[in-house]
This record gives sequence, C-alpha cells and structure tokens, in this order.
Amino acid sequence: MSSMDPIPRASKSDLARRWYVPQEIQSLRAYYPVVIFVASLSVVISIMRGNEDAIYSSMCIVFVHLVLLLLLRQLDHGTKNIRDGIFVISGIGLFLSILHHLDGPGLWIDIWFTTWMAVPFLLVPVAGSMPMVTLWVSGRLTVKAAELGLRMNRVMAEKHSHALHHLVLLHAVTIVALPLLWILDVAVSPGNSLGGGFMDEVTGEHFEKLVSSESFWLWTRNSFIVSIGTTLLGLALAIPAGYAFSRFRFRGRDPAMFAFLLVQMFPGVIILVPYFLVMKALGLLNTSLGLILAYSVTALPLCVWMLKGFFDTVPRELEEAALVDGCSQTQVFWRIVLPLSLPAVAVTALFSFLAAWNEFLLALTFNTSEEMYTLPVGLASLISSTGQAWGDFAAASLLVSLPVVILFIAFQRFLIEGLSAGGVKG
Amino acid sequence: MKRFLILLLFPILLGNVSAGSVNQIELDGSVGYRQVGIEMVLSEPATNGTYYEIRMNDSEFSRTEDSLLHSVIIVGETAGLMQPEMGDWYDDCHYVLGDDIFVPIHRKSDGTGVVPNGTVSIGCTLTGIPSGQEYYFAVLTIHSNGTEVISPVILSSSTTEDTLVAPLKTSPYLFAIGSISLSLIALLYGLRWLDYRDGRTTSKGAHFYIAPALLSLAVLTFYPVIYGIWLALTDADQSRLGEHVFVGLENFFTVFSTSGFLRVTGFTLLWTVVNVVSHISFGLLLALALNKSGLRGKTAYRTILLLPWAIPSYITVLVWRGMFEPAGAINDLLGTDLNLLADANGARFAVILVNIWLGIPFMMMSISGALQALPKEMYEAAEVDGIGTLGQFRHLTLPNLRSALVPLSLLGFIWTFNMFNVIYLMTDGGPNLDFDGPGSTDILITYVYDVAFRDGAYGVAAAWSVVIFVMLVVFSWTYMKRTNATEAVT
Repeated sequence: MSSMDPIPRASKSDLARRWYVPQEIQSLRAYYPVVIFVASLSVVISIMRGNEDAIYSSMCIVFVHLVLLLLLRQLDHGTKNIRDGIFVISGIGLFLSILHHLDGPGLWIDIWFTTWMAVPFLLVPVAGSMPMVTLWVSGRLTVKAAELGLRMNRVMAEKHSHALHHLVLLHAVTIVALPLLWILDVAVSPGNSLGGGFMDEVTGEHFEKLVSSESFWLWTRNSFIVSIGTTLLGLALAIPAGYAFSRFRFRGRDPAMFAFLLVQMFPGVIILVPYFLVMKALGLLNTSLGLILAYSVTALPLCVWMLKGFFDTVPRELEEAALVDGCSQTQVFWRIVLPLSLPAVAVTALFSFLAAWNEFLLALTFNTSEEMYTLPVGLASLISSTGQAWGDFAAASLLVSLPVVILFIAFQRFLIEGLSAGGVKG
Repeated sequence: MKRFLILLLFPILLGNVSAGSVNQIELDGSVGYRQVGIEMVLSEPATNGTYYEIRMNDSEFSRTEDSLLHSVIIVGETAGLMQPEMGDWYDDCHYVLGDDIFVPIHRKSDGTGVVPNGTVSIGCTLTGIPSGQEYYFAVLTIHSNGTEVISPVILSSSTTEDTLVAPLKTSPYLFAIGSISLSLIALLYGLRWLDYRDGRTTSKGAHFYIAPALLSLAVLTFYPVIYGIWLALTDADQSRLGEHVFVGLENFFTVFSTSGFLRVTGFTLLWTVVNVVSHISFGLLLALALNKSGLRGKTAYRTILLLPWAIPSYITVLVWRGMFEPAGAINDLLGTDLNLLADANGARFAVILVNIWLGIPFMMMSISGALQALPKEMYEAAEVDGIGTLGQFRHLTLPNLRSALVPLSLLGFIWTFNMFNVIYLMTDGGPNLDFDGPGSTDILITYVYDVAFRDGAYGVAAAWSVVIFVMLVVFSWTYMKRTNATEAVT
C-alpha cells in the first residue's frame, strides 16, 4: 500500500525546496523564446541579403540558443553538471555571435541583432553563477535559504518585469521614431533624391527654397482659410445644437440625435461622388467655401456630441438662478453657459481645425487647380509621377507637422477624451 | 532663343545618327484635353531590337537621367500581338511602313507598343500631360548594340481646354436643396407648435437652436446620399452629365461583372482584418506596458508613441513610401536590395505594414483609458490568490476589456475599410494597374475613386458606393450579432 501512495508526506523543508526556482532562471525561461524568434529573424535577413556564410552562422546560433533553452528547462536542484554545460555552450555561442557579427556589414540593424543574440550568452552564465543559483543547482539548499530565496524572488520578479516593460517600450519607440528621423535626414540632405548616409551632409537649401517659393505660401494660405472657416462655421452650427441637446427636452430630440449618430456611420466614399456633383453644380469646386462647407458638416456630428458632453457637466442650478433673476434664455446661454464652457469650446475648435488642416481626400477631389491646393494636396503633389522632390517634401512636412504635433501633444488628454466621448459611444 | 539653339545643334546631331534613329520630332498640343501629339520621323527604316523612349520633363534637360519616361516603343515581331483600335488605349499610336498608310500600333500584354521592321515614322497621342503647363519632350533611341541617340528637346504644352464635361444645370440642385430646407423648417415649426400646444416649458427655442445644424446636415449629407443612390441607377458619366437617364440596375451588373471584383473584395477584407487584429493586439500590448505602475519615463514613452497619430497621415504615408523606395531607408537599414513596391505581394505587405504603424496609437490610447477604469482591488485579490501575470491577463483583464474592445474593433473595422490615404499615396493601387479592373493593391474605396475620377463613370462609381455601404452594414451587423450572442453565452 505504501508504495502506491502517490503523494509522499512532504516535510516543510521539501515544500519550500520544491517551490523554489530562482527568479533569474524563471525569467530566462520565460523570455528565451523571444531571443530565438529574433535569432530566426536574423536568418531571414541573411537569406534576403543572399549571404550564405551569414545564413549558416546565424542558423548555428539559433541552434545553440535552442540547446540552451532546452538545458535551462532541465535545470533543477542537484543538476550542477547541466549548469556547467550551460557555461560551456554559452561560451561557444558568444564566440559564434562575434564571428557572425564581424562577418556582416555592421549596420545598425546588425548591431541590434548581435545584441539580441550575444547578450543572452552573457546573461545566462551570469545568472547561473549567482550565489543562490549555485546553491540551488548544487542541491545543498537549506529550508532557511529556500525561504529567503522565495522572498528575494518577489523583489526580483518586479525588477525583471520593469526591465521587460522598458524593453518592449524602447522597441516600440524606435519603430515609431525611425521614419521621423529619416525624414529629418532627407530634409537636411542636399539634392532631391534619396540615399546617402545618415546626417553625412547638412544643408538648409530645402527650407530656403520653400520659404522663398510662392506655391508653399499659397497652399499654407489656402489651408489657413479653409481650416479657420471650418472652425468658425462648425462651432456656429455645433454650439447651439449641443446646448439644445444637453438642456432641452423637446419633440423630435431623439430622432435628431440619432440622425447625428447615423451620419458618423456613413463611410465618406458613399458621399464622395454625389458630393462632387452637387459642388460642381453649385460652382463650389476650386473654392475655399466648398471645402469649408464640406468639412464643417463632416466634423459636425462629433463636435455636437463632444459639446453636448461638456455642456452636461455645467451645473444647471446656475442657469436656473439666472432665469429666476430675470435673464432671458438667450442671455443665460451667452452670459453664463458659454463663458463656463470656454475650455471645452476651445478643444472642439482645435479638433475641427486639425481635422480640416489634415484632410486629404475631399481636398484632392474638389480643388484640382494648383492655386487652390491645400497643404495636404500640395505636399502630395511634390511626390508624383512627374517628379519626386523628396528633399523639398521632407522640409515642407517638417514645417507643416511641427505646429500640429505640438498642439496635439499639448491638448492630447482633452482631444482623446472628446474623441472617445463622440467616437466610441457612436 | 532656345529653338534657335536647337536648330543650330540640329546638323551636329544629324551627323551622329545611325540607322533607324529618331532625329526629328514634331509636337502638337491641340489634339485633345491633357494630350500632346508627337510625330517621330526615323532617319532610316527601323530595325528589330531598337527601343524608342519618349522622355519628358517640366524643365529643359540635356541628359536622359534628368527626364521622366513617358512610354516605350519597341521594334520587333508584331505577329500575334493585340492591336487596339483608336480610342481603346490610353495613348493612341500609329506607325507608317513606307506606303503612307497609318496603322494602329501593336501592344504587348504589358502595354508596351511594338512596331514592325521597316517602320519609317511613328505618331502617338501622349496622354496625362496637364493642360496649360509647359513640358519638354525628346525621344531617345537605343539601338540593339547599346548605342543611344537623343533627339532634339522640344517644348510644348497641351492647349485644349477641358471640353468633355458639360456644364451642369444648377436649377435642379437648387430646387432639391430648397425643398429639403423648406420641408425641414416646416417640420421643425410643426414640432415646436405641438410642444407649445402641449405646454412643454422645457423646450423653449430648442428647435431654433438645432435648426442650423440639422439643416446643413440634411442638405450636405443626407441629400448627397440619396442623390448618390439615384445616380447609381442612371448612366451618368463625365461626358453625359445633366442628360443622364434612368437605366435600372445596369450599373450593378457592371459592378458584379468587373474582372477582379472578388479579388479586390478579398484584398479589402484581408487588409481590414489583418489591420484591425494587429492594431488591437499591438495597442493592447503597448497599453499594458504603459499601464505598469511606477515605470520611469512613462510620459516620454507615451508622447513618442502618440506621434504616428499626431502627425498628419498623408505626411507619414509619403514618408513610408520614400523609405520603401529602392534608395530608401528600408534597404539602407536592412542592408538588402529590395523593391517591395514594384512587386504585387510586396506592395500589399508594405501598405498593410504602414497602416498598422499608423493605427496603433489610437487603439493604444483607447485601451489605456479602458484599462485605467478597471478596479485595482480585483488585481489585488488575484495577487493574494497567487494568480500569475498571465493568468490575471487572461481571466481578469481580457474579459473586463471586452465591453470596450467590441465597439473599438467595430470602429476600427469601418475606418480601415474606408482608409483611402494609405493606399492612394503609397501605391495608387499599383504596381499592376489593369485598364478595366482594380490594381493589385486597390481596396474597394480606392478603386471607386479611380472609377469615378479616372474613368469618369459616375453612375458605376455610385453603384460601387452603394455595394460597399451594404457590405459594411452587413459586416457590422453580423459582427454585432455575433459578439452579442457570445456575450449572452459567457
């Protein structure tokens, strides 16, 4: 009977020892598949470059990593031999990685690959020679030591998790920043073609050319007229509507609010062709007014919903008091509600301004003559089938997006709140 | 003065000419809208293996590298090649064999023009030359032995005004807009009167407040939508506008019988699904990474990660297009020699990649907001129960985020489905553009744009729009149904 008992009565010491695996080893086991993934990517890159030596060496490195992962999983207390094997294999791996790197062209991406492939070969022996790990693999772990180790694990897990978060975010930030750094480089490089090293020659010729070119200022002027017009008209339409939806209960309120939601569901494309024909019939093609009308109506539903949400937060008691004191409804709106919700109105204004400033499709369709281009269409026309002025385009992009980005970052919290109020609920 | 110089150069150039080179060209800007006619006279009858490159630029050029290639004509075997009639191709071309008879040019399957051995002159109508702008033209002859001869560079411009589009009558539109406005005003007035009669005090002036917004919405959104549905049932196109008549469902037959209808729909679905899934998964990953309490530099990370959303999308898309160029940053970075945008699958991969990059920040911020709303106590309880990070994510975070993720993914679906900028600016539907079908990277809406504004077929384009709208409604509805159904089960 006793031989069939599956669970031996564990003593307290057994329990602590069975539970304990040093955090270093746990983390390495968890993160190692990513290392193998990156190493496999390096094989793919070598294949794309057609470099046969590099293909073999990177495949060898992947193999060594696989062996290491296998051994890491086998590691347990009392397995000193495996730990020593890991040391040896890491050394081989490190040597291979260095050879692989020296053989390659040594670009930034190769440095990144080598870091991903070689650093684990350093980390594994370092982790393996930590005092706690040494004690663990030697199988001489006392109960006290195991309990201490479990406590240390908690602290270390937190540290490792922080490192992982930074690692993920740093990679994301790099991927986001790459195109932006590149466009900066193109903007300050001489000539209008691509290529050349990063920041090897710096010139301001594209900026000078832009500032002295007539069309850039013309496009900027058009964009300003359209965006400011859109903002003013959009607000003039949206503020009263948002206020009415927030404060009044009237017949037709729900159908009207539904109409505003419905419009947001319409894809722009279904309107584009008829819109174009209506604008054409009314003679509004190639005018700023046509775009202003179109943009303010496109942004209207979102603006109305944003403003309704903001007006809802203005306390009603203030208005009621003013009404009792003899103000008319109009006076209440102009003297009390509007001043109180001025920040919200500013955010809505910024939102419609940015939407008009960045819009491309309608501007491309409606305003086809060059002197009526807005900035988006004008900038896109620099990169077309009849000419690719990359340097001029890059410089113009920087000039155009810088103010927009600053505004966006400065007001991001409000813009996102407003968008989620209008967008996600809709 | 320039012409004078060219005339002076003329004899010198003539001296260099070897057999079958183009040494004289004549240009005519009055052949049609956005067209320039070119006549190329060959020094001697053409021989097999010679290439003629028609090159142009908006400034004068002396080296071919400074000019753009308009089209290529090859001297070679013409048997078995198609021979489009005048008006069936973008560029109408013809050649003369020596007997003064104009023969339409032969075309290879990729559109390259082919003329037979012994041709003495070639004429072409070059299309796509913007009206009223001056361009310089020249023809480069490349002989089979590799020697190159360039013809004189001659200035011309397309002078024909746009006569295809008939002026539209304004009165029917004004009538429609007027009647819509008047009926809406009457409706609002009626509702106001009803409220007044019932003695509602909460609605003072409300109808007056919403009238401007509602009116503009009706005139500038609902009216075009209804007009679009009507257009889909007519034969409206660029040349017959204002006189278009009802043709029933003909346009819809055209839509469904378009070669590549299934292909473009399939790619649109692939594009949308891959994008939305990646946006949500990467957005979730980054939102979780940013949600870590006590992480240093969180604001800096968030600000940088927001940039793809903050920068106008047309700029970032064009920047990515430059990076994918053969001389661009992607090849510099990877040390490879790729030309992704020239290959159909490569271009598909590239446009999807760029749109993923563009869309992550919005999802990241939206999911971040939802994550912050989750109760902290829940996680503390899980911690006490010894549930690991992965377990917490699977059993606490994901189920609780569901109510936010379902509408977000639907919104992402609609947006991505209608994302025009990325594909239009990256590839314009290319690299392989068909003449009566969508290109390799076209999605539905970029193709509709081409149908409407490249081909001028407004009725067909309107029919496409209606089909797309129905697709979107069906997808959204099924999605809502399915997600609601599973919600009821779990």
